[in-house]
Amino acid sequence: MIVESKEDIGQEEIQKFYDFCKKSINAEVAAYLEACVRCGICAEACLFYMGQNVSGSIDPFLTPAYKADLLREIYKENYTLLGRVKKLLGFGVKITSEDLREQIKLAFYTCTNCDRCTKACPMGIDTPRLVSIVRGALTYAGLTPKDLADATNLSVEKGSPLGVDIPTFLSRIEFISEEYEVDLPIDKKLSEYLYIPSSIELMKFPSSVAAAGKVLNKSGVNWTLSTIAHEATNFGLFAQSKEVTKEMLKRILDGAKELGVKYIIAPECGHAYQSMRFVAPNVFPEEWQFEVLNIVEFIDRAIKEGRLSIKKKVLKEIATLHDSCQIGRRGGVLREPRSVLNMLAENFKDSVVIPEHNICCGGGGGVLVIKDADYYRQKGFISKMTLFDKVGAKTVVCYCANCILALNKSSQELNRDYKFVSIVELVAEAIEEEEA
Amino acid sequence: MSDVAFYDFVRGPFLKLALFVFFIGIAYRFFRVVFLGLPKDYAKPKGNPYYMALKKIVIKPTMGWTFNEIFSRRAINFMGGFLFHLGFLGLTFLVPAHAFLWQEITGLPIPGVPNIVSDLLAYSALGSLIALTVHRALNPVLKLLTGKDEYLANFLIGAILFTGILATKWAGGGFYVWILSTHMFLADLLILYIPFSRLSHFVYYFLSVGFMGWNAGKRGVSF
Repeated sequence: MIVESKEDIGQEEIQKFYDFCKKSINAEVAAYLEACVRCGICAEACLFYMGQNVSGSIDPFLTPAYKADLLREIYKENYTLLGRVKKLLGFGVKITSEDLREQIKLAFYTCTNCDRCTKACPMGIDTPRLVSIVRGALTYAGLTPKDLADATNLSVEKGSPLGVDIPTFLSRIEFISEEYEVDLPIDKKLSEYLYIPSSIELMKFPSSVAAAGKVLNKSGVNWTLSTIAHEATNFGLFAQSKEVTKEMLKRILDGAKELGVKYIIAPECGHAYQSMRFVAPNVFPEEWQFEVLNIVEFIDRAIKEGRLSIKKKVLKEIATLHDSCQIGRRGGVLREPRSVLNMLAENFKDSVVIPEHNICCGGGGGVLVIKDADYYRQKGFISKMTLFDKVGAKTVVCYCANCILALNKSSQELNRDYKFVSIVELVAEAIEEEEA
Repeated sequence: MSDVAFYDFVRGPFLKLALFVFFIGIAYRFFRVVFLGLPKDYAKPKGNPYYMALKKIVIKPTMGWTFNEIFSRRAINFMGGFLFHLGFLGLTFLVPAHAFLWQEITGLPIPGVPNIVSDLLAYSALGSLIALTVHRALNPVLKLLTGKDEYLANFLIGAILFTGILATKWAGGGFYVWILSTHMFLADLLILYIPFSRLSHFVYYFLSVGFMGWNAGKRGVSF
């Protein structure tokens, strides 16, 4: 199960990469691979390409269509008549170790699976889907970038990519409960809702966990945390390791089943929501019978049902919204944060007319943890900044802790003074101020 | 070979051969992909995948237009692509000479557009094709993505458009049949070539955009 990060790339790795790509083809993938008309419009939608462009240089190799080209060649020589003939005549794909090194850069460093290119593509090609296959093939060949492999392995061994094991989890919850004066129930049997934080929140943004607790308590639902299901993040998705994805989801499944919950509330974490809402039902088709809501979806629903109300506008300055790609553009939660933020901010200025146009933080898909990808993350942030500056906002409201972490990091590295805040924390603040 | 014999050849057996290869080839390309099958998706849909798949098939090419910054950088692609497709498809089916041919093949009454509309379609298609080809040759991203296939297809289509305009406006006396036959010969070649090239993208458009729309509907994404 351990995800490897080999230095040397030999014939065995190349063969494994090839085999994985070959067996990952189905009708949907083949349609995407065949449909590309080489127009390159996807490049203009990619935050990394855009950032590089804004900086004054053009790197055509950042074009999303190009990132799937090796996969396309493998598809052709295995599934098309002409490709097979070419292979038979000795003109098949010849993959070198350098090609795979380039694939690592293309799939892991310069793609966050943000899906913006899909929206701009006139042929509707889901490039994140194709890049995910390349990532899976590299992981299968033992070629996951080291930083990502280490974090992924740590999540399997300890229960979280930041090494949060059960004793650490319990002590952090106790600390947060005391520090922020909030009741955080753990392992409460027959609860209706299970809230699972991410370790980023737990360790780096404890106020976010406290805020979620306050909101859940205020809404009056019967909820709990779980020691077994204590980590929402799923690094298996970043590495595209099916085994790790399944293992991390199994822990959530076990925890949720033990407590008998009906709903699982995913935290402010993009891939956590993706994995629980859209991946888990396919990993455990029989057993996964929970309704999964993102915390922002939950808040919006609670407001509409009259269980929560926000009457206090806690943001006075100009504020804009940063969308988490996996919760928003790929998860369908785009209207909810806007509706909630309109209640919280006196001067909310959306930087995009169509929410799906928003730009990624640059650190999604595991890019944040890969040190060698820092250069690209910063370039991506330059694209992102153009949106903040367009509306003149220094305060940026987010609904993903990984986004906040990535944006903060890039902002500091580039000496910017943007402030990134969690929407759930703002909701909790509004509730508290109202009560006070 | 006389001009009339050449005309008869390109209008008769060669056209039949081209159409035969075209239909077989396109069917093969379509079903080759469809028959690969799909894994079952057990995740409960948030929206209506069927509706979104259909909606996307109708509107997808214009979705990119809504990205202002992309449009401003790639106006040639968007405008040129739109004008080219409009011109090329309009010419293929609605020019009086072609409408007559389609009417003969299908038996359905197909009205041809007035000559002025035909001319506009032809010049916009040829002009935008030239602009797109030059752009392809100069833009660094497109240079990376472009292979021989794209240039061959563009050359072939350009030659068809040019000879078509030439035949319509012909004032060169006795070579009319030759120029018309050349136009038809090149069109036959194009029909033959489509199943072997990226020009068959129109087949995959419905699949690719359909899948993308399906996923958007499944995830409750409206755009």
